[in-house]
Amino acid sequence: MNEFSQAIRGGDYEGGGAASRRVKELLKKVGADPAVVRRAMIAAYEAEMNVVIHSHGGELRARLDAERLVVEVVDTGPGIPDLEQAMRPGFSTAPAAARELGFGAGLGLPNIKKNSDEFEVQSAAGTGTRVRFVIALKPAALYGSGRRSLEIRGEQCKQSLRCLSACPTQAVRVFRGRPEVLDYLCIDCTACIAACPTGTLTLGGPPLPSPPPEHAVLAVPAEALVQYGPGVTAEQAMAELSSLGFGEILVTAPWEAALRQEVREEAQRDNQPLPVISPACPAVVALIETRFASLVPHLAPLASAAEAIAATFAGRPLYVVVSCPSQRTALMEAGTTPAPQTVLPSALRDILQPRLRRNHPTTRLGHTPPHPPPDLLRVTGLRHVLAVLEAIENGLAEGIRVVEPWACDEGCFGSPLLGEDPFLTQSRYDASATLRVSSNAAPVATPRRQPFKPRPGLRLDPDMARAIQKLSRIDRLRRTLPGSDCGMCGAPTCASLAEDIVLGRASAEACVRQERSGASGVDQEKKT
Amino acid sequence: MQLELLAQEIGARVCSPGRGVNVEIDQVYAGDRISDLLNAAGDHALLVSNLSSGHLIRVAELMDVPGLCLVGGQTPDEAMLAAAAEHGTLLMVSRAGLFETCGRIYQALGRGGRADG
Repeated sequence: MNEFSQAIRGGDYEGGGAASRRVKELLKKVGADPAVVRRAMIAAYEAEMNVVIHSHGGELRARLDAERLVVEVVDTGPGIPDLEQAMRPGFSTAPAAARELGFGAGLGLPNIKKNSDEFEVQSAAGTGTRVRFVIALKPAALYGSGRRSLEIRGEQCKQSLRCLSACPTQAVRVFRGRPEVLDYLCIDCTACIAACPTGTLTLGGPPLPSPPPEHAVLAVPAEALVQYGPGVTAEQAMAELSSLGFGEILVTAPWEAALRQEVREEAQRDNQPLPVISPACPAVVALIETRFASLVPHLAPLASAAEAIAATFAGRPLYVVVSCPSQRTALMEAGTTPAPQTVLPSALRDILQPRLRRNHPTTRLGHTPPHPPPDLLRVTGLRHVLAVLEAIENGLAEGIRVVEPWACDEGCFGSPLLGEDPFLTQSRYDASATLRVSSNAAPVATPRRQPFKPRPGLRLDPDMARAIQKLSRIDRLRRTLPGSDCGMCGAPTCASLAEDIVLGRASAEACVRQERSGASGVDQEKKT
Repeated sequence: MQLELLAQEIGARVCSPGRGVNVEIDQVYAGDRISDLLNAAGDHALLVSNLSSGHLIRVAELMDVPGLCLVGGQTPDEAMLAAAAEHGTLLMVSRAGLFETCGRIYQALGRGGRADG
């Protein structure tokens, strides 16, 4: 039986390590690779000693199958009040007794994470802590690339199941109430991250070091320089960045341009299958390798801009701001030393935002930024149109004079009634060319005959008092629903189902999940 | 360098012989934090530490570390000696402190690296 569980006693420093030893025996039994054993031991021992040092006691459960080792370490409390803090390297609440023995470096949880392929920790003050980690037994090469940076925070999953249809390679499963990702299919794109309403699927990253190591290099993509809202220009953000103490700071855009140029030249070569596909986006490269094997020869044999930067600055501490898991994976696989550190745009924002506020008190809403935004902003695709309209409503579209929103991607070229991808269709139309037409009518814009007016919104009841009653019934009902917005009842969200039930459009038993999760859903609602 | 030889060179007393005389190490790491030691541990490493708790032995056991060096003339207790013997970990004790022990190891390795050493 490749499975066991062993009790861990809180405060039992003498016995600490016994459960990890059994994990090791388990791995040795199947002849696991020494590197795997090594990673497993670091993770298991850290997790086990956490229970000894910090908790009333708990248990380590290990399960081994042909592909992976799954370890769960649970304790009965007192729990971690602030998980984010606990994950920060160097943060520790270990008592003096533990520190004397060499524990309490504040590296436990980060160490577990670093040495596992999947890592998850759940905890709250007053309850217990549960750490789960997975270590793949086989070298990733067996599955092709298979090394992913996407992070799963399973405890946040509400089973909306949107990730399932969003994933372009069908790599996601939600079998046990939380997502699992098949590494050999995952291309580290952002489809599931964008679809997930609860932040379960995400990308994590450390804070920016302050001060940075000597001679450290920071590579920033343009998008990370213009994320500070209206009124803050890329130049201002760069000026702030320069004061952080990095030896060298560079923007990735020129590196991307250099790659583009090189890819163009690649297309000039004889025998090169056309079109040449640029490897600028590592997620697309992984997609092609996963789903479009016949197109692999079309990929220009070049590394992404971030990898080129890593190669150029090999030997120096390098920090790269990445916008997606695939960039992180590409950098990790590039094999340059020291391994580049990846930083999220949010880590940059956390540091720069307060400084920008302090140093540029005049750049806030109502102040015209020195860098004029485009005269006309063309927005296409409903998802983006919605986001931009919301931004305008919230006063965040400072300085933009004209907006031209289109519901379909790339405007009407993106109509599903055309049957072809909008980018392809549009590529055949040259807007600057004059088509010979047989009409001489001068194009004009004409005024509207009916004024615009808001549509009447939802009316729960013609009678105001009864409408208010219904509103509170809807609200009560909504709280009893699972909140997963799974859509299996036929309504798009739990809130809309609550409304439909109260308005008599749906039956009170419409929710297919309520029996299982409804009761606990109510409990959870009360707790939070 | 061979562990036994290194012990001799730095004037450390070998309390538990470990896996035998032929164990070669190519990495030395000194530290007092278990997490650091775990990360540095490997099957060709010598760990040097002020710690003398059973956890040092446990790290060695879990991580297949062939050698441990205690410093400051600490005497390992019976349990530690027994554990070291059981897991085949070479246990040496240096009378010097951590800093000086590391200095001696550095020198010894420097000499050992040369042909005449």
